Amino acid sequence: MTWLRFLLCAAALALAANVPAQTAAEPNAQAMLQASDRVRNTDRAFAVTVTLIEYRNGQQTDTSTLASYAKSDPRSGQFRTLIRFVAPARDSGKLMLKAGNDFWFFDPASRASVRLSPQQRLLGQASNGDVVTVNFASDYRAELGVREEIRDGERKKRDSTRLDLSAFTDNASYHRIELWVDSANSQPIKGKFYADSDRLLKTVYYRRYQKQLGADRPTETVIIDGLDPKWVTVMRYTEFAFRDVPETWLQRDYLPNFRPD
Amino acid sequence: MSKPFLCAVVLACVVPCVVAAEAEDAALDLADVAPQAAPTVASDWRLFTELAAGQTTLRQAGAADTSATTQRLSLDVAFDKKLSPELRAVFADRLDLTHQSDAVGSRTVNTFKEGYFSWQPDARRVLDGGRINARYGAAMGYNPTDFFREGANRSITSLDPQDLRNNRMGTVMLRGQTLWQGGALTAIYAPKVADAPNAGDWNADFGATNNRRRWLVVASHQVADNVNPQVMLYGDERQPVQLGLNLAMLMGDAAVGHFEWSGGRSKTLLAQAAPLAPGVSQDETWHNRLATGFTYTSASKVSLTAEYEYNGAALDQTVWDALRAGAPADYASYRQWLQQRQEITTRHAAFVRATWQDALVNRLDLTLMLRRNLDDQSELTWLEARYRLDHAELALQWQLASGDAFSDYGALAQRRLIQALFRYYF
Repeated sequence: MTWLRFLLCAAALALAANVPAQTAAEPNAQAMLQASDRVRNTDRAFAVTVTLIEYRNGQQTDTSTLASYAKSDPRSGQFRTLIRFVAPARDSGKLMLKAGNDFWFFDPASRASVRLSPQQRLLGQASNGDVVTVNFASDYRAELGVREEIRDGERKKRDSTRLDLSAFTDNASYHRIELWVDSANSQPIKGKFYADSDRLLKTVYYRRYQKQLGADRPTETVIIDGLDPKWVTVMRYTEFAFRDVPETWLQRDYLPNFRPD
Repeated sequence: MSKPFLCAVVLACVVPCVVAAEAEDAALDLADVAPQAAPTVASDWRLFTELAAGQTTLRQAGAADTSATTQRLSLDVAFDKKLSPELRAVFADRLDLTHQSDAVGSRTVNTFKEGYFSWQPDARRVLDGGRINARYGAAMGYNPTDFFREGANRSITSLDPQDLRNNRMGTVMLRGQTLWQGGALTAIYAPKVADAPNAGDWNADFGATNNRRRWLVVASHQVADNVNPQVMLYGDERQPVQLGLNLAMLMGDAAVGHFEWSGGRSKTLLAQAAPLAPGVSQDETWHNRLATGFTYTSASKVSLTAEYEYNGAALDQTVWDALRAGAPADYASYRQWLQQRQEITTRHAAFVRATWQDALVNRLDLTLMLRRNLDDQSELTWLEARYRLDHAELALQWQLASGDAFSDYGALAQRRLIQALFRYYF
């Protein structure tokens, strides 16, 4: 009986000691999401060149090059992005601005600034939301999903934590996202993006991590269509640089004046 | 639970996962061998040439229609360069060489579209001087606030409003802009440069765009998320000050609504077109002009714009019917005057434009445009199939103007047109 009492007390003590310890070790989903955002983006304004290569049934069908200028909004924490089309020649000089939920398109040929809906696409498979810089934590609430070993974009096994994101602002492009991040350093590995109807829209791999803008960041995303997996877009990021992005660049009225150095 | 049922459930769960994993592997294999992009530098030049050949059916008053073949060679060039951190130079020009196998014959028209310097002492202030295409308007088919559109199109190669905007001349002006977070104030002064338009082949035609003094003040500010109106004041030595408003707002994830209005005291369009006509009042009264509608985009990349257009200064149905039945000279001068100003002919009109991007096959865009005069029920239909190559585009266009004789579109000289185009970007 004494032994039994001792065992019960020991078990109770162990449990009591263990509960706070487990709570402290429990990863915070929103903090992991924020850390994952910090891997993809920096806090400072920056410029990057984005090359999109589109494939259908294994054949390359389209290529575009964009220059992107991004700066976070101190009020919302979300990025505003000005995109300048560099190639192909027919699109050269066209601009797209995303600020909050506002998308504006400027064509230098007609000097017209036209408002776009989030669903309007200027590129092939990649949505406007895919090519602009986005902090998921500003628009999505994260919950912890399973911790599992998955294969990353380099086909290496990674200990990952799945974050289940649900949109809580109107600015969110997707209804919900499953985002697998590295359990150790919150590097994004893979995401599945879903529509309101819960249909899988796309699967995205974040890969080819390189030291850029002071941290290891993905320099390539591979977008696989949810309905037709043979429709693939490779987005390559090069020429990363911190740069000043004046506030005035990030509004419709400035678009006709925009001409970077 | 029976064994076969259990196996079926397991298979139903496992097989899609395996298939998806294989598809993802295949996609990653593709990405592994994707070509490394060579660094691309944005060019200061934009240059393309366009070759068009077609057949048109021409309306002949009181006689059977005739047909003619048409050919066109165009060269379009644009240059935009920063000469220093503060100074920028912009130039744009277009040359159209056209030939029609009838009395119209061959024509050469050069359009000096833009040529100006822009000085930006800092990111908040801009001063521009020269010939500038200052284009305003949230609507697509009719832009009552696009005050500098009058006389701007020297060579009309297509009735698609997008082409009309791309190919037009700017106005000689001095333009100053100051910007703040979420807003801007723009002031424009356009002087008189010449008395009248000049149709000379290579003439810069300042008389078409700068035949009187005009000014414009535009203010805009983001008053709330999704609300960024543009308010305008326009002065013209030929009429009292006009007001303008532009607003484009999101209507959910897939639609944008637009509202464009201008209003002020003015003579009716008929009074302006025929100032000496007996029985036409020359009084200046308040008139509203409006274009409002929406653009909806489906997940399959079909964009549909529908727009209602109104001009209170244009003819109502009764006066329009009387003009059509009256002296042909009055009718013709009214039509010609309107065409120059890109005004709608009568009070009410509708405009629809649908574009299907990557239709049926990748890189193929299909466009349908429909204009309808709601007072005389005449219509203009325009269809285009355009295939995009890396440096070139191939297009097939078909246009049909239908309606009673002397109706808005029924009276167009070009009743039917079919043409093929080849455009090459350098």
